[in-house]
Amino acid sequence: MRGLKGKRVLITGGASGIGAATAARFLEEGAVVCVLDRNAQGCAQIRQQLPALAGTVTADVSDLKQVEAAFAEAIRLMGGVDVLVNNAGISIRHNFLEITPEEWDKVMAVNLTGVFYMAQTAAKHMMARGSGVILQTASTNGIVGQPYYADYNATKAGVIELTKTMALELAPKVRVCAVAPGYVLTPMQRAEYSDEMLEAVNRKVPLHRHAQPEEIAALFAFLASDDAAYMTGHVYTIDGAETAGGLASR
Amino acid sequence: MAGCTLDGKVAVITGAASGIGRATASLFADEGAVVVIVDRNEEAGAAAAREIVQQGGRSIFEPADVTKADDCRRVVDRALREFQRIDVLFNNAGVIRRASVLELTEDDWDRVIDVNVKSIFLLSRLVIPIMAKAGGGSIVNMASGWGLAGGPRAAVYCASKGAVVLLTKAMAIDHGHQNIRVNCLCPGDTDTNMLREEAHQLNESEDGFLSESARRPLGRVGSPEEIARAALYLASDAASFVTGTALVVDGGGLAGSA
Repeated sequence: MRGLKGKRVLITGGASGIGAATAARFLEEGAVVCVLDRNAQGCAQIRQQLPALAGTVTADVSDLKQVEAAFAEAIRLMGGVDVLVNNAGISIRHNFLEITPEEWDKVMAVNLTGVFYMAQTAAKHMMARGSGVILQTASTNGIVGQPYYADYNATKAGVIELTKTMALELAPKVRVCAVAPGYVLTPMQRAEYSDEMLEAVNRKVPLHRHAQPEEIAALFAFLASDDAAYMTGHVYTIDGAETAGGLASR
Repeated sequence: MAGCTLDGKVAVITGAASGIGRATASLFADEGAVVVIVDRNEEAGAAAAREIVQQGGRSIFEPADVTKADDCRRVVDRALREFQRIDVLFNNAGVIRRASVLELTEDDWDRVIDVNVKSIFLLSRLVIPIMAKAGGGSIVNMASGWGLAGGPRAAVYCASKGAVVLLTKAMAIDHGHQNIRVNCLCPGDTDTNMLREEAHQLNESEDGFLSESARRPLGRVGSPEEIARAALYLASDAASFVTGTALVVDGGGLAGSA
């Protein structure tokens, strides 16, 4: 991808799954990369797996003080931040009627408030410097309904709308795009889905498989690159045509 | 890593003698593809293929009116005869009529729907079996921001581009199991002859029209090269899990109202 060499990229939730694959992809493209994650052990592991990383920062994105300290550390490690991949997120599988207030608050805190804290902190830095790109991980679940993830889905719809408004207010200096993956074969996915459930997904997705995290990473690289210089304020779905149809009515 | 390359791939591009199609033909050739240029403008189409070859790329020109099934058949037969495969089909050919339903003639309506939508059906049904036999392929259809939102005095154009978006999704569902990806592009206003043609149709000055078109978050119209870059992404293995989507490249025009 054009224009990524030497770009300084901060990836939240970068110790595993889509975040880790995206860190690896940006490194392959010649970027300078820093990973932020709340899991200190995960940070240590990703430093081992990707020795070319500029560094890792352990922080909980739902805590503004930690976010500000972590961003300052990323600047210290890399000299600045050109691209934020605002990817950290959690999900809990539960029936809507059984969601506890604590669970709801937890999912909101990480997936929406945490995304806001990181985005605003990065945007202030980027606007002062005159340029930047913010890419935010939404989900097909933020576009279509899906049972057992009411809170998660609401946050992902929120990320998409936040993306559009940020794009309007931060243009033309800072581009803001959302990525909406469908089913991706990550540790988070394997932890929540049995083999039968994974197979059921493969049957219903027109491409008949899950995505590999590397495929999502390639979209992040494209959106951060010069090839996407005219792209802002929209959500980019990567789901093997899962949401191309109206699944619940088929 | 899966990059935006097309080494050894054969790409058929309709409406490739000018505008976005022409820019995409050059870009695909730069990235290693053999490009079959399809256009009804014989002079411009032949010149395009010549220029690409002069710059070290591989390209041929086959004249065609892609609203005619026989012409589409001739294009596909030629591509197969010369190259034995088709990996990428960019259904880019399109026309515009800036008119409300009160101002449109029946001929206008039919022409816009035939070029913008029917041509996709006529070509894709020939190319899909070829791609399926080869184990996969990528079809990119040209839609528009006006395939996702309405516009003034753009009735048949919006209808045609909306049709392209849903045709794209239906095709993606039908042919995903054959590893054929189908996506569409939704550009905003792009600096091409067609954009200037719109100004003429509306009896407006080109300069005035262009500066109106630039009023969007990124403050400018898009270049054909930028749209070509998005087409390249969709055509390439970098987009290996992307299918059934409408990829918006519009400088923030659809993000909302500012």
